[in-house]
Amino acid sequence: MESTIVPQLMITGLALGAVYALVATGFYITHLTVDKVNFGQGDFVMVAAFLMLSTRSAAIPVMLAIPLVMAGMLLLGLILERVAIRPLDGRRSSNVGAFAWILTTAGVAFIVQNIVELVYGKSSQYSPPLFSSDRNALVHVFGMRLVVEELLVIATAMLVAALFYLFMFRSRWGKNIRAVAYNPDAAALLGIDTRMIKVAVFLVASLLAALAGVLIGPLVTVQPHMGLILTIKALVVAAVGGLSSPIGILAGGLLFGIAEAGSNYVDSTFGDLYPLVAAMLLVALKPSGLFGERAADVR
Amino acid sequence: MTTMNKVLASMALACVAATAGTAQAQVKVGVIQGLSGPPAIVDFGESYLQGIKLALHDYQAKGGKTKIELVVYDDEANPQRAVSLANRLIQSDKVPVVIGTVSSGNVLAMSPIFQKAGVPLMAGPAVVTQITAQFINESPSYIFRCSMVNQFEIGALIDWSAARYKKIGLIHSTTGAGIFAANEVQEGLKGKGMQLAVVEAAAPGVNDLSAQMSKMRDAGVELVLNFHESYELPFRALARLNYKPVIAGPWGLSSTKVPEIVGKDAVEGTVMGQALDVTAGRAREFDERMRKEYGSAYRWPVVASLGYDAAQIVFKAVDRVGKPDPAAIRDAIENVDGIEAMSATPAKPFAKGDHECVDKKDVFLGVWKGGVVTRLP
Repeated sequence: MESTIVPQLMITGLALGAVYALVATGFYITHLTVDKVNFGQGDFVMVAAFLMLSTRSAAIPVMLAIPLVMAGMLLLGLILERVAIRPLDGRRSSNVGAFAWILTTAGVAFIVQNIVELVYGKSSQYSPPLFSSDRNALVHVFGMRLVVEELLVIATAMLVAALFYLFMFRSRWGKNIRAVAYNPDAAALLGIDTRMIKVAVFLVASLLAALAGVLIGPLVTVQPHMGLILTIKALVVAAVGGLSSPIGILAGGLLFGIAEAGSNYVDSTFGDLYPLVAAMLLVALKPSGLFGERAADVR
Repeated sequence: MTTMNKVLASMALACVAATAGTAQAQVKVGVIQGLSGPPAIVDFGESYLQGIKLALHDYQAKGGKTKIELVVYDDEANPQRAVSLANRLIQSDKVPVVIGTVSSGNVLAMSPIFQKAGVPLMAGPAVVTQITAQFINESPSYIFRCSMVNQFEIGALIDWSAARYKKIGLIHSTTGAGIFAANEVQEGLKGKGMQLAVVEAAAPGVNDLSAQMSKMRDAGVELVLNFHESYELPFRALARLNYKPVIAGPWGLSSTKVPEIVGKDAVEGTVMGQALDVTAGRAREFDERMRKEYGSAYRWPVVASLGYDAAQIVFKAVDRVGKPDPAAIRDAIENVDGIEAMSATPAKPFAKGDHECVDKKDVFLGVWKGGVVTRLP
């Protein structure tokens, strides 16, 4: 066994873990503020990956393509909030209405998936590297052969977690969001535009999906059904890290990614099963996750 | 024209129309295919259906005397849905013959229904060996197949591999088809007195096989047999691992999607089971026509060619019978002759006791060479 293989596999695991963390951070911000998550967050990542594919096919430079993809995803986030979240606002008191967002966000995800299938077909697609025309563009780091996007997605997830932490706990905007999370009526009385905050958190979640989609495309084979597994794994990551802190979610994502890579190396037949079983045990023993608080409602 | 004359003229016209209607009998042919779900299923289903549609076009152009209408359903790679569609085609649509489907599990689930109902099923592009074998001793068997057969392509691969390589590894998916293929490979090599150096597996929806392929590399595996339905995944890990084994596997590796995703250079020299040689004769012409007809949506020549051949056999049998009589159509399929096949299907594909279009002698190995799959020398 080459001495570099273990760290190389760990970085591959970290990269996928970083993608899960980006998706799960989208869950964190909306769950914190409006008690809802987008069950199609993984499908939003898929849409962003396909949008990036389109911009690359149209020979649009990467630095222009990324903002274009983000703009597209902002629009999708806006539509999601308008059609799948806002209409349910007045129905929280009914038993059905309280959880209707699961159906509405999953419904939007199915619609989006079908539109992508109509536009791009149902097959798998190749998404080229961001900064090279060579399919196998690699960088050599301490003897390891790494894909640039692997390093980029890990760095991005770390940066996002740090920025989120500062934003949520050090900025006025973050305080406004937390105020809406604690008590929207009181926040409104204090002059905070609660409607705007509620829209903004879904836009932020869509931007995170855009980042994940741009970076994951060159690492995997892009296809219209790739979203569901991302959503499921991001939910697991959120449960492992705890839904109360972006740093906890990052740690949960990276741990889960490493566990996946490691278990696939040890026993590939059940490689995906062991991390999920470990996550279940962990949540059973510590329901608030590794970095969550003991209180049931972290707000 | 008086009112009475108008009425008489209308009645006369109606009689002429009715007579014309009986002159060309109409028969519905059912098609069940996997047209939605995972890309590996859809690529097979759409390609096979493309072949069926071209065959219908050609049948009509040649002036077939029986009007044939396709009734197409999508089983979504779901066995329950396949069973439900089989019942619907038999009871509601009253089709006398059915073609389908991708997933071997779905075919195994619905074939007893067709056998019991006495409605012929032309299975394809499912590959699992037992599909026709389990009914072949029935008198009569209503289950036929026009597709690759696992046993034949694995047999050809084993013969070739065992003669050339000492260290052979296997990667397979954890689906039923993947596990079944892995068992056949292991049994085949055992028969040659060989053992696999490494056996690795992966779930169908995984994104990365670096861990599995690194174990192949560390074990010094020269040939990797790839039976994971995301055919491109083993290739994607190779550059990172600085590893260049020969890769071989089932006919799925001949999908044009594989070089499209991993690059022509990466697949050069990759070997697979094959039943179509597009460099020669009718197959070449077929390949060109399909490219014109479907453009970039045409991505799997061998699957499309077997879909075409399955359909032309069924249409010829239906045309010979001329009415929706399942038993007569079954007999006509079994005795059909003079097929100008695009795939390696012989002119007389079936006989009593042989319900496979493609037999062991018809399966050969193909190899990616210069962006085209050619016959392995």
